[in-house]
Amino acid sequence: MIKYLVILLDDTSVSYCHYENNKAERKLISLEDLNEGIFYAMKENLSIQFVYPDYELPAEYKDAINTVDHSCVKPYAKGVKADVLVINDIDKLGNVDWQQDTAYVLRVDKSKLFAFYQNIISVLPKVMRLNVVLTDVETFTECDFDAYRKLLTELADVVKTEYVRGRIVQFNLLSDRIMLDAMNNCNAGVENITLATDGRFYICPGFYFAEDDADFGLGKAKFSVGDLKNGLDIKNSQLYRMTHAPICRKCDAYQCKRCVWLNRKTTYEVNTPSHEQCVVAHLERNVSRELLKGIREYGEFMPEKEIKEIDYIDPFNIVKD
Amino acid sequence: MNKIKEQSLSWQSGMAKNITFIVTKDCQLACKYCYLVGKNEKERMSWEVAKQAVDYILDNEYDENFNYESVVWDFIGGEPFLEIELIDKICDYIKTEMFHRNHHWFDSYRFSFSTNGINYDSEKVQNFIKKNHSHLSIGITIDGTQKKHDMNRIWKSEGSEEKGSYVDVVRNIPLWLEQFPNAGTKVTISSADIPYIKESVLHLYSLGIHEVNINVVFEDVWNEGDDVLFENQLIQLADSIIENEYYKDFACSFFTENMGKPMDCVLENQNWCGAGKMLSIDAAGNFYPCTRFAQYSLRDKKAWIIGNVRYGIDKNKLRPFLTLDRCTQSTQECIDCEVAGGCAWCQGENYDVADTPTIYQRSTAICKMHKARVRANNYYWNKLYRKLELESHD
Repeated sequence: MIKYLVILLDDTSVSYCHYENNKAERKLISLEDLNEGIFYAMKENLSIQFVYPDYELPAEYKDAINTVDHSCVKPYAKGVKADVLVINDIDKLGNVDWQQDTAYVLRVDKSKLFAFYQNIISVLPKVMRLNVVLTDVETFTECDFDAYRKLLTELADVVKTEYVRGRIVQFNLLSDRIMLDAMNNCNAGVENITLATDGRFYICPGFYFAEDDADFGLGKAKFSVGDLKNGLDIKNSQLYRMTHAPICRKCDAYQCKRCVWLNRKTTYEVNTPSHEQCVVAHLERNVSRELLKGIREYGEFMPEKEIKEIDYIDPFNIVKD
Repeated sequence: MNKIKEQSLSWQSGMAKNITFIVTKDCQLACKYCYLVGKNEKERMSWEVAKQAVDYILDNEYDENFNYESVVWDFIGGEPFLEIELIDKICDYIKTEMFHRNHHWFDSYRFSFSTNGINYDSEKVQNFIKKNHSHLSIGITIDGTQKKHDMNRIWKSEGSEEKGSYVDVVRNIPLWLEQFPNAGTKVTISSADIPYIKESVLHLYSLGIHEVNINVVFEDVWNEGDDVLFENQLIQLADSIIENEYYKDFACSFFTENMGKPMDCVLENQNWCGAGKMLSIDAAGNFYPCTRFAQYSLRDKKAWIIGNVRYGIDKNKLRPFLTLDRCTQSTQECIDCEVAGGCAWCQGENYDVADTPTIYQRSTAICKMHKARVRANNYYWNKLYRKLELESHD
C-alpha cells in the first residue's frame, strides 16, 4: 500500500539516492500540479516528501508546500535547514556545518569512498543519522568488494566506540542491520511513489531522470505509472513487492536498499538485484554482525537481536539451487 | 501387462547444456504459425562469429554456465541446413577443439537439428550425416496429412498463390527413418488445424514415425469453441490409438500420464521453461537466454541480449531466469488451478505479451486448450488402463 509521495519540485531537484540527475535546466513543477499533488496525497493519506533544487523557490510555492505536513530533502548548503540534507563531496566533509537534528545523505562513488572514507569517522559522532549511498555500486569488482569490506570494518570500530560510550549512532551501512528484524528497503512502487515535474507518477525519481532515449536494453527506462488526472496505474505492480522477488524474499540483508531502479538497469527485472548490489549488502550485513559481537564484549546489548552466520555472500546462489 | 510405448526423454535430459547457433534467419518456407516474425535472408552467421562463440564457450569449461556433464550443440534457423557448409565447418572445429583441449564434453556431445526436411537428401547434408551420425539428433517437421501440412507449411513466394511443402518433405521421410529409426517429429497446432489432429497423428504413425511430439501454439490465436473441438479430436484420437493398439509402438505427447493434477508452490515450483539455462547465439554474435529472446522471434518487445562473443555473458542478465519459479510468475488462478500439472508456457512468448518488459508475467492464452487436453488425457488413460486390466484377466 502506497504511504508516501515524493514530489520533485524541479528538474534540478537533488538526487538523494543511487540514480543520477543530469538535468541542468531548471524547470519547476507547475503550481497547479504541485497543488494537485498535495491534494492527491491528502485524499490518499500519503505523507509527502518534497525534493528541492539548489535555489530558492518562489513564494507561492513555499505557501503551497506549507499547506500540508511534510518532510523535505535539500542539497546541502551552509545555513540550509531540512529533514534530510544531501552532500556529494566526501572530500569536503570538514567544511560542513553539521546539525544534530538532521539526517544526512552522503552520495559518493567507490573511488572517492575508498580514498576518503576516513572523513566519515569524524562525522559519525556529530550527526543524528548518516546514510552513505554508493552511486556506482553496479561497477564493483572483486577488488572493490575487498576494499569495501576493509573500510566497513574500520568504520565499525568507530561505531562500536560510540556505542560503548553510550551514544546511539545511526549509520545506514552498519547500524541499520543490527536494529532491523525484517526487510526495510526503499519500497519504491509499493510504499512510495514519485510525482515529477511533468505531472506524472514514476516508480521513483530514477525512472523520471533517465535520459529520454535510455533503454538499458529492453525498451524505455523512463516510463510513468499514471498521472494526476487518472491516478496511479502500475502495471505488474506485484513485481515491486517482496513476495515476487525470488532472491530478496530469501535474504536477510535487511538494510539493503533493494533499489528497483538499479535492478532494472543491471538485470532488466525490477524484482531481481544484481550480483554487485547483493554482495555489497552482504558485506554490510556481515560487518554489522561482527559489530554486534564487538559491542557485546562490553556488556549486554540488544540480547534479542541475532544476525546469523551464513556461508554465502550472494543469496542468488542459494535461490538458484 | 501389455507394453505401452513411453515417450523418449531428450538425450542426457537435464544434464546437458544446450547451445544454439542461429546460423541463418532465412527459410525456404513461410509457415503461417511460425513465431519467427523477423526472418530474413541477410542475417547469416559468419565463420568468425561462430568460431569466437565456440572459443568462448570452450574457454569457460568450468564456469557455472557451462559446467554441465554433456552438451547439445543445436543448429537452427530459419532452416539450418541452408547453411550446411558453415555447420560442417563449425562441427569439425568443435570436435577438434574439444579433443585438443581434452574437454570433458568430447565424450558426451550431440549435434542437434530441427529441419523442415526439404534438402535432407542433398549431397552435402548426407555427407554431413555420414560423418557425424553417431552424434546426431535430427528432427524433421511434418505436420500430418498433406491437407493439414499444406495449410500452414507453405513455400515462401512473392506471388499470392500458396504452395504447400508436404510432397517436398514426405519424400525424405523414409531416408530419415532409415538413418534415425527412433526419431520423432514435431507437430504444431493452431486454431485452423484442430479438425485435422486425429487424422494427422495417425497419418504420421502410418509413415513409420513412432514418436509424435505435438503441441498447441502458445500465442493467443484461439477462438471461441476451439477447446471443445480440440477435446473432441483428442478423444477420437484416443479411441483410435487404443482400438488399434498403437500405444504399444507409438507415442503421442498429447497423452501423458500424471498431468492435470494440482501443483504445490513449494514442492512443485520449478520453472517449466529452460530459458537461461540454454544459450543461443545469432549472426551478430549476440548471446540470448533462448532463441525466443532474439529479435526475429519477438513481435512487440526488444531482444533480451545477455552478452556477446567478444565480452562474454553478463551474468546479471541471467539472474532473473535462473531464479524464476512457477508460482512467482503465475496468476492466482494458475496457482489455484486444479489441473495445473503439465500446463506449459514459453518464456519468450510470456515476455512478448507481458504488460511490462518482464519474464515474470505468465501468459494464459492456452488455458482453455490445456483444460480440454486434460479431459481428453484423463479419458485416454482411464480407457487404456481398463482395457489392459480386462485383457490381463483373459
